[in-house]
Formats: sequence, C-alpha cells, structure tokens
Amino acid sequence: MPQSATTANAAEPGSRERKPPAIAARGICKSFATQVLRNVDLRIAAGSIHGLVGENGAGKSTLAKIMVGLEQPDSGSLSLAGAAYQPRSTSESLKAGVALCTQELSLIDDLSIADNLLLPASSAARPRGRARIRRKLAHQYAMQSLARVGLEHASPAMRVGRLSLAEKQLVEVARALATGAALLVLDEPTSALTAPQADRLHEILREQANAGVAVIYVSHRLGDVLEVCDHISVLRDGEVRLTSSSDELSEAILIREMAGVDADLEASERNAVAALPVHLSVQELRTAELPHPISFECRWGEILGIAGLAGSGRTELLRAIFGLDKRLGGVVRLHVDGTWVELHSTRQAIRGGVGLVAEDRASDGVFRDQGLAFNVTVAGLRRIAGRVGRLIRSRETSAVGALVRELRVKSDGIDQPMRTLSGGNQQRAMLGRWLHCDAKLLLLDEPTRGVDVAAKLAIHEELVRLRDAGRSIVAVSSELDELASLCDRIIVLSNRKLVREFQRSELHQEDILAAAFSEYA
Amino acid sequence: MTAKPTARIVRLFEDNLIFLSLIGIVAFFGLASDRFLSLTTLSTLLNQLPALTVVAIGMTLVLISGAIDLSVGSVLALCAGVVGGCMTLFGMPLPLAAGIGILAGALAGLANGSLGAYLRLPIFIVTLGMLEVARGLAYLVTDSQTVYLGARVQSFAVPIWGIGVSASFLTALALVIAFEYLLRSTVFGRQIVAVGSNESAAEVSGIDPKRVRCTVLVISGALAGLGGLMNASYLGSADPNAGVGMELSAIAAAVIGGTSLMGGRGSVVGAFIGVLIVSVLQIGLAQIGITEPTKRVITGAVIILAVILDRWRADSR
Repeated sequence: MPQSATTANAAEPGSRERKPPAIAARGICKSFATQVLRNVDLRIAAGSIHGLVGENGAGKSTLAKIMVGLEQPDSGSLSLAGAAYQPRSTSESLKAGVALCTQELSLIDDLSIADNLLLPASSAARPRGRARIRRKLAHQYAMQSLARVGLEHASPAMRVGRLSLAEKQLVEVARALATGAALLVLDEPTSALTAPQADRLHEILREQANAGVAVIYVSHRLGDVLEVCDHISVLRDGEVRLTSSSDELSEAILIREMAGVDADLEASERNAVAALPVHLSVQELRTAELPHPISFECRWGEILGIAGLAGSGRTELLRAIFGLDKRLGGVVRLHVDGTWVELHSTRQAIRGGVGLVAEDRASDGVFRDQGLAFNVTVAGLRRIAGRVGRLIRSRETSAVGALVRELRVKSDGIDQPMRTLSGGNQQRAMLGRWLHCDAKLLLLDEPTRGVDVAAKLAIHEELVRLRDAGRSIVAVSSELDELASLCDRIIVLSNRKLVREFQRSELHQEDILAAAFSEYA
Repeated sequence: MTAKPTARIVRLFEDNLIFLSLIGIVAFFGLASDRFLSLTTLSTLLNQLPALTVVAIGMTLVLISGAIDLSVGSVLALCAGVVGGCMTLFGMPLPLAAGIGILAGALAGLANGSLGAYLRLPIFIVTLGMLEVARGLAYLVTDSQTVYLGARVQSFAVPIWGIGVSASFLTALALVIAFEYLLRSTVFGRQIVAVGSNESAAEVSGIDPKRVRCTVLVISGALAGLGGLMNASYLGSADPNAGVGMELSAIAAAVIGGTSLMGGRGSVVGAFIGVLIVSVLQIGLAQIGITEPTKRVITGAVIILAVILDRWRADSR
C-alpha cells in the first residue's frame, strides 16, 4: 500500500474549528452482486468543495446515491451537521437539505422548464402543504433560477425536451441550487458542458461554498476536480484510498491512486497475435453517438479489449458494429470463408457469424419470463426448424442440452424460466445463444457485470476456451484487471474517440487509465 | 420432473384452471336449469361462436406481440359490408366476395401495422382511429342499411346435416388449432413471443420487431374480415352495426384465457376457452332468468376474477 493511503482513514478535511462536518459517513458498506463500498469514512466540512474521483465501478455514484437516499447502505451510518441522518428517499433527503444532481438526467422532457424546477417538493414557489402552483410566482422563480446558471435567454415556459443536453444539465443544476440545500451532491455535472459553461458552473459552486454550502463533486475530469475542489478523495474498489487537500495533489498522483499499486498488470503467457489473419475490420465508423471516425481490426482467435470510462462510447461502438445503431459513415467488414463481407444490418451480422451480448442483460439480453431453451435458440431458430418454419422440438432439446453441458449452465431443465436463473447462469445462456448460432466473433459488453466472483472467473475461463477453439472476441470492460488477464490487445476510448492501442506486452494500468482520461481535459 | 405427486397434481390443476372453470360453469347451469344441458343449447352456442372466436384468435396474437387492436369490431362490419356489396352490386359468387372481404380486412390491418410499427405511432391510438374509420366505411359501403343476402351466404352458417355444427364453426375450430400450432411450434410464433416479451432483446437477436408486429396486425385484420363473413352468413345479411364492442369481448376472452396485456404470454386455445366461458355465461344466465343488466355485471366480474386468478397463478411460480 502506498504511504499516501495511510492518510485515508484519518480523513480530516479542512482543519476548521470543532464545528461538526456538514456530512460525515462512517463505515459505509454496500453490496449488490459484489461489494461496491467497503467501510467508507468521509467527512465534508460546510463551505468546502470536496472532489470524489475513481475508476468506473469504484463506488462513487453509489456513495452519492446513498447520501440522498436513493440507495440504503448495508451497514455504517451518516450524520448531517452532527445529527444522525438516514434518508430513505430523495424527498426525505431534500427535506434534510441535501440535493443531488445526477448523471442520468432526471428532468421530464414533456414538462416546461418552470414545471421541472418546481418538481422538488420543497421549492419556494410551492409552500409546504400547498399543492396548487401559483403561476406568476413560479415564473419569477424559474427566471431567477435560470439566470443563476447563465440560462437567462431560456423561457421558463419552454418544454425541457427542446433544450440541448448541456442546457438540460444546467437546468438540473439550477433545480438543485434552487432547493436551497446545505449539501449539494453533483455527479458528473459538467459531462455535457462546454468549457465556458463549466467555468460558469464552477464559479457558482464557489459562491455556494462561500455561503456555507458543502459540495460533493464527482467527476471524470481530473483537471476540473483539481481546480475546483478544496479536498479530493480517491475511491478504488469501494474503498477510500486517499483524502487530501487538492494543493498537494496532481493528475499523476490521482491516476496512480485510482489504478492501485499493482499497476503492472499480470500478463498471461500468450504469444503475439500480430501474425493472425484479420477477422473484423472497422474503418472510419461514425454514428450520431460516435462523431469521431473509429478504425480498428480484430484478428482471428484474438481477444481484443475495449477500455474506457462509462459513457466513453464503448457500448455505442459495439452496437454500431452489430448494426443496431444507425451509421453515419464508415465500413464494417467481416472475413468469412475466405471472402470479405460488408455488414449493414444485425441480421447480416448474425448470418456472418457475429453475436452481441449486451451490457444491460435485463433490457437487451434475456427474455425473463421465457424458458432457458427459448432464450438460447431465439437468435438461431432456423437451426432447429424444418421446412416452412416448423420448429422441431427434439432438435431444440438436443441442441440446448449440449450447450447447457458445454457451458455448465445450472438449471432444473431447459424450460426453467430465465428469471429464476442466477446472473452467472443467465450470462452463460447469453453466450450459449450465440454458440447456438455458431458465431465466430463475439462482441461482449461487460461480460461479467452483475455476476459474483466465482462465476466471473468461470466466465473468464470460458472465454479463453472459446478463443482457443478459434473464435474471436471483442470485449468491453470497466475492470482493467479483467481486460489485462483476458485480452491479447486493448484499445482505449476516451470521450468517444479511439485514443490508443496497447499490446499485451505493454499493459500498464496507469497508462491505460491516463489514456482513458486523456480526452476529458 | 422431480416434483412430488401432490405438487404435480396441483400444477396440473393450475395449468388447466380455465378449462376446469368452464366445466364448473357448465355444471352449474346444468344443475340450475333443466333446459341447459340440451342439444338445442349446444347447437345455439356453437353456431353463434365462430365470428368472436376468429376475432379473438387475432386479438390474442396481437396482444402477445405487445400491441393491441381496437379496430376489429368495425373491421368485421366493414368486411361484412364489402362481401354484401360484392354479391349484391356486382353479382359475385360467394367465394370471390369472401376473398375480397378478407382482403379488405387484411388491408385495414396493414394500415394499422404500417402506421403503428413503421411510423412508430401509438398502436392504441392508431387502431382507435381505425375503429372509427372502418365503421364509417361500413356505413358507406352499405349505404347505412342492412343488406339482405339470404340463402346465398347462409350455407356457411347452417349446421351440417349429421354433425350438427356449421362449416363456419369447423373453420373457426380448425383456425384455433392452426394458430395455436403457429404460436407454439413455428419460427414466426417464437418471434411473436420474443417481440412481446422484450422488444430490444429481440432486436439484438436479429428479429425485426416492426415486421413481426405489422404481420400480426395484418393477420388480425384478415381474421376480422373472416369474422365479418361468418357474421353475415349467420344473419343472412350484411349489417353495418355488426361487431359493435366486439374488440372488448375479444380482449376479455384472450385475458380470461391467460393472455397478458403486457405481451409475451398467452394462448390461442386459452382464448377459445375464454370465448366459450363468455358465451356460456350469456346463454346460461339468460336461461335461468337473469336480466340483461345483471348479466353484464356478472360477466364483467368474471373477467376481473380471471385476471386475479391468473396473477395468483403467475406469482405462485
């Protein structure tokens, strides 16, 4: 452990007088499928801006959600200005004077700006106990709130749906400010803002802090964090690794702390894959979500990793290759049976032997109320069908049975409803879906998300086995050690651009992280 | 497979709940009225069923795909009117007129499908609009009059000598079996369930949800067209007021039969039993002297009860 980490537990920002901190967290633990927060201690003084940084999945957003009652900790406690604080919902936390401004915008597109600003129960234009909104007051109130964040030109009557993403983000900030909260929690507040807009926001935050408000500032933009915050805490694997005054920190130190001590990633004994023939070629690919053309190749029998922060365009890249999102330019070609095939649609991709396992299994993967067999065969129904699309049950039974054995899916028979399977078994079934289609190229988005540690290792083994059997894999992951232990090569996306490529021999966690953060400056 | 015998019996009971309910209802009316268990009742029942049955088949497929079709009752009347017009105005033989009538229904379904699936308009509203459009067209083609057709069309609906049921009923029964098979055992059936169960996962699996929904709405329209033919042959005339409110009876039958309004789950045979339950209630309640208002209250309560039972069954899994 680096020496700086020893200061982590003695988190004592602001050597202010003995006044209780605006918010203090003690021993917060939280688990979903895996442990997300371990024994987090944090004290944030009134009148200070406190930065929270860390890799994807380090626990920043979960901690922010716990502070406003969107999640409940498994153990540990919070106190607000010295008094116990146990929010169960955002309406409770708002009453206590804590407001959150989220990454996922929580504005309602079909309502006007003014109506959106009035949604929090404690708004000034809606005095307690009064359900009726007074139009004139609301209008005035909205004008004031908007002026504060530099949106004077916007009319309060305008529908939020017509605003740009940056404007929406500012409205969201305006709404949080307008609640008059004593603690503001901002999760990636500048992700869509231009530099002048971000500067304006930072000025506002400083004004707020000077007026005694405590601010928690979660961001990927390390430069911003260093500039704006008084103190910064680094989270890694759900633990606070470092809390320090920002004067004593630099981007390099933050990246080192986020990456951890084991910065040299464990490399497996695989040889270079440069000699293998190309399987997938992506040239100058562009979509609405990926404005900068992206080109790369994946070779036969290779596991290619895609690293990058959440929102860096990784998921969008896989979707574009698979023909799910509309392309604005570029070519995706696949080498099948000695010839090149251009891919334009999902059906073509599947026919060419490509399969995609989506990040959000619940929404883009499983049919939860249908059986295991249904879920496995759904993308390759022709393979179990006779003439005129008649399904042959015995073929389905034997095909699914073989895959269940091969992938070691645990179930009470092939018609067990999918929702009753564990996350790991569901994920194996998703792999089975594409093996059923005999896919040669697997596009995997966070292949071990939401599965427990043992299942994760088993899935890793499975992927290596599939690769060794001659398939190619493109895997997106937020976990650098996962990429390092699996991949032959890694490409890094940062802010929707492809910024770097790493060969297996040159994998260093710090370099990968530095690349992933590079376009957010 | 490894379940205890008692658990298996419970499971068997649960799986066939609606069929058992139907038997229970029949038994109740059999005891309550000495005229109920007779061949006359059975024949009345079976010969008035076909139109609702075929419409309910289409509705079930539409609901399973995660859409809804409110236009079926009006489309049925429109197609009856088209069949009548073809026969009286142009003197076409029945098979040709019937073909054109069914085609008209399919076209109405295609309009629903294209607007709903491809232009992404809310299908509820699109088919609600079609409900008005088709009803209006039905009045236009019949000049707002019931078109008398007589024996030319009734052959389809009269009981066949020796079996006691009509060709119309046999057709409906065959379609129930055919569409149940389509749903359970064909690629297209699986695709319908997949789209209704999780549209975006279906898309990732290479299924085109728009095409599937559009096709299902065309089928529903065509079946409503067939329903129009059946209705016209039953009445011996094309009535522009036919099928008013039939969309609700069809939805009720599908739901009683275990079809989910959220999509992804349902059964055509179940919907047929739903049609039987609704019809048996109508006839049985009338025979034991229940008045029309009370009949409606009871029928409505039965629909809600069916949903409660279905929810309970789904939760107990």
